Amino acid sequence: MAKTDTARGLLITPIFQNNPIALQILGICSALAVTNSMSTSLVMGLAVIAVTAFSNMFVSLIRNHMPSSIRIIIQMTIIASLVIVVDQLLRAFAYDLSKQLSVFVGLIITNCIVMGRAEAYAMQNGPVLSFLDGVGNGLGYTFILLAVGFFRELLGSGSVFGMTIMPTINNGGWYVPNGLMLLPPSAFFVIGLLIWAIRSLSPQQVETSEFRITTNTKPHTAQGSV
Amino acid sequence: MASNDSIKKTLTVALSLCVVCSVVVSTAAVALRPTQQQNQELDRKTNILQVANLMVPGKSVEQQFGEITQRVVDLRSGKYVDDIDPDRFDQIASTQDPAMSRTLSGPQDRAGLGGRVENYATVYLVGDPDKPDEIILPVRGQGLWSLMLGYLALEGDGNTVVGLSFYDQGETPGLGGEVDNPRWKSLWPGKEIYPEDSTDPAIRLVKGGVGSNTPDAEHKVDALSGATLTSTGVTNLLQFWMGDEGFANYLARFRDTSQGA
Amino acid sequence: MGIRRLLDNIEPHFHEGGKYQRFYALYEAVDTIFYAPGHVTGSTSHVRDGIDLKRIMITVWMCTFPAMFFGMYNVGLQANVAIADNYGALAGWREAVVMALAGGHDPGSIWGNFVLGATWFIPIYAVTFIVGGFWEVLFAIRRGHEVNEGFFVTSVLFALILPATVPLWQVALGITFGVVIGKEVFGGTGKNFLNPALTGRAFLYFAYPAQLSGDSVWVPADGYTGATALSTVAQGGIDQLMAQTPWFNAFLGFIQGSIGETSTLMILLGGLIMIWTRVASWRIILGVFLGMVATATLFNLIGSDTNPMFALPWYWHLVIGGFAFGMIFMATDPVSASMTNTGKLIFGALIGFMTVLIRVANPAFPEGIMLAILFANLFAPLIDHFIVQANIKRRQKRLMPSRDKEVA
Repeated sequence: MAKTDTARGLLITPIFQNNPIALQILGICSALAVTNSMSTSLVMGLAVIAVTAFSNMFVSLIRNHMPSSIRIIIQMTIIASLVIVVDQLLRAFAYDLSKQLSVFVGLIITNCIVMGRAEAYAMQNGPVLSFLDGVGNGLGYTFILLAVGFFRELLGSGSVFGMTIMPTINNGGWYVPNGLMLLPPSAFFVIGLLIWAIRSLSPQQVETSEFRITTNTKPHTAQGSV
Repeated sequence: MASNDSIKKTLTVALSLCVVCSVVVSTAAVALRPTQQQNQELDRKTNILQVANLMVPGKSVEQQFGEITQRVVDLRSGKYVDDIDPDRFDQIASTQDPAMSRTLSGPQDRAGLGGRVENYATVYLVGDPDKPDEIILPVRGQGLWSLMLGYLALEGDGNTVVGLSFYDQGETPGLGGEVDNPRWKSLWPGKEIYPEDSTDPAIRLVKGGVGSNTPDAEHKVDALSGATLTSTGVTNLLQFWMGDEGFANYLARFRDTSQGA
Repeated sequence: MGIRRLLDNIEPHFHEGGKYQRFYALYEAVDTIFYAPGHVTGSTSHVRDGIDLKRIMITVWMCTFPAMFFGMYNVGLQANVAIADNYGALAGWREAVVMALAGGHDPGSIWGNFVLGATWFIPIYAVTFIVGGFWEVLFAIRRGHEVNEGFFVTSVLFALILPATVPLWQVALGITFGVVIGKEVFGGTGKNFLNPALTGRAFLYFAYPAQLSGDSVWVPADGYTGATALSTVAQGGIDQLMAQTPWFNAFLGFIQGSIGETSTLMILLGGLIMIWTRVASWRIILGVFLGMVATATLFNLIGSDTNPMFALPWYWHLVIGGFAFGMIFMATDPVSASMTNTGKLIFGALIGFMTVLIRVANPAFPEGIMLAILFANLFAPLIDHFIVQANIKRRQKRLMPSRDKEVA
């Protein structure tokens, strides 16, 4: 854990080793809804980075003056205000994308990552470190969103960031787009497969089983030698 | 920490947080509102220009929109109304106002508008408002999953289609969602809404392809493959908006004048 | 006994320390196709019975044969009728095979219809078998369990619920999804909670709806479009359907649909064998049937002016679409269904209810049995849980009065 206290560690760890989506399984809902294209994933990711970073910083700044009885309400108020500001900014400066993201920017308020970091990290650490922690976790979230968005947009529309990679049949090309990838449930499959891949690469992320599953029959027990 | 939990401190913190946050939020909202409204306007105008094939790269949307005249039409009589300012008139919101709208019976409500339709609609005229090159009409109706909102552009004869496009719809991606597909939209130009000497719209989507041999091919457009209900929805909304409850009375004036001239 | 000797000779290579240890699963699969497995239960109490997983699965596999052969015939028949009606035959190697073996497109020739249907079904089945088998063996080797005949069933069921014209690469994708996501990620046969064949079908249905649904995918003839019985009812009402197809024709299976699902008669024939051999649970089948009848009748009574599906009586629900096939072959999958006897009835009724509900009330999906079974699969463990809990409570109650007496 000592490593996570350096600025670098704070930024990098949440991307692979302690990813909020892949390891902690937080913030799944918005990951399902907005990942049908790379550009919406990216904007959503940036919005979450901004909200997590600044809410962490502000919570950390006033952490020594926070009455514990209304602690959660204060965090919520700060987060909610930031989300509204971000939403308004998007509507003013990225109108098309904000139209596609519709309510999901507003729903960052309910994203467990933001609240989780404020409560778990910002309440115990200084503003600078908290800010970096927020950025790091936001990056981890963005990383998964972009990965999911990449597969969904490529397989579902044959493009990446709106640039055509595989021209689709309906536009005179050869690629038959996979319609399932455009529907939110496909994000479940993609996230599931991503988690499978990540945990195969670093087995220490695999959770301990809640109960033991009987092992499969092995060659030496199969031949009636029991 | 005990001092933090005193009632006085709790109230002070809560109050000051509220003040700070509300100032921040309202500043953002007020300061950004003009830009946001501009965006919305721009979005609407872009949609209209696109359906009318008037988007020329390199020219600003505002500049191009200058060629367009907005008028408000009374759908019942088909006459222009001058006491409603088209710039401020919100057509969709007006369905909530009993003075500005009327109820529809079940069979009348073909487009699935929830039993109410507005009395007034904004139309956009390209070129000379009295003898326009193109007429752009707002249309909307229920598809399979969603209310589809779009514009239909007609030529000056009030009959020949220039284009149909939906700017807001939530149909199944890849099936009904293909109403956005440029290839499908390219089937529309040249189609005719009404048969000769009739105000009953004949335009419809048909399954299985429209070829040159199809009878009445000028009134038929290929349905979206695999999306029966969205296609039915498009047919229904066009029949509604081109029919007597919609723009039929208004469009009759163009057909008369163009025939007379 | 040459095979036995050959197998015995090569067996040591597949045991621990042998050259091909990793491929034990393959050896085991081949061995037990030919001979009864050699190992016996190690613990004290067990039931002596000739049945095992292999025999159950092979029985189900064989019970699909009537529907399968009729399906091939019907695909050919529908196509030949369309071709006789001046629609073009689809050119390609299939046409060459049909010409060589049957000599033409005569809808009156049983053999000709059969050959044409086979040229569409056999490639689908072959792709399903090879691609699905590949994943099955890969996971068996990697995870160290055995390949079993469950896959015979999954593959044939999957192939039979596809439309004849489905592109083969989609077949490969579908069975991959069904086997890997539907079964292997949960630990293989016996640990999956969804029916793998239906999982694959559902994947294809949502991913490539244009090739899996609609009016032009059922009959392999050029440019031919015709609605399935269910779409006909949804659009034109029961009268239009009856004008096209008498009920008995639909029961026999001379209608359009996925390859194996059209003939209710052939499916019931396979079903009878499965019930008689107790491979399929009659409780589930009864539950599905009763659930369907009750729901359909309820909708009949409610009635609707705008939705003609409300008026469809239960005996039509039975013979059109995939209802019969799903009821007999899919719902009775012992792994993904409920385990308790009462649970099986409830599980079945839930399927029957959901099928009719989706068929009638959902505008987007004409057929509901696939989604209904997958939905009920999810609920099977919950149903079992409540049945078991209720049982425990009832027994405790039986215990209580006597205890009270003792206290008094």
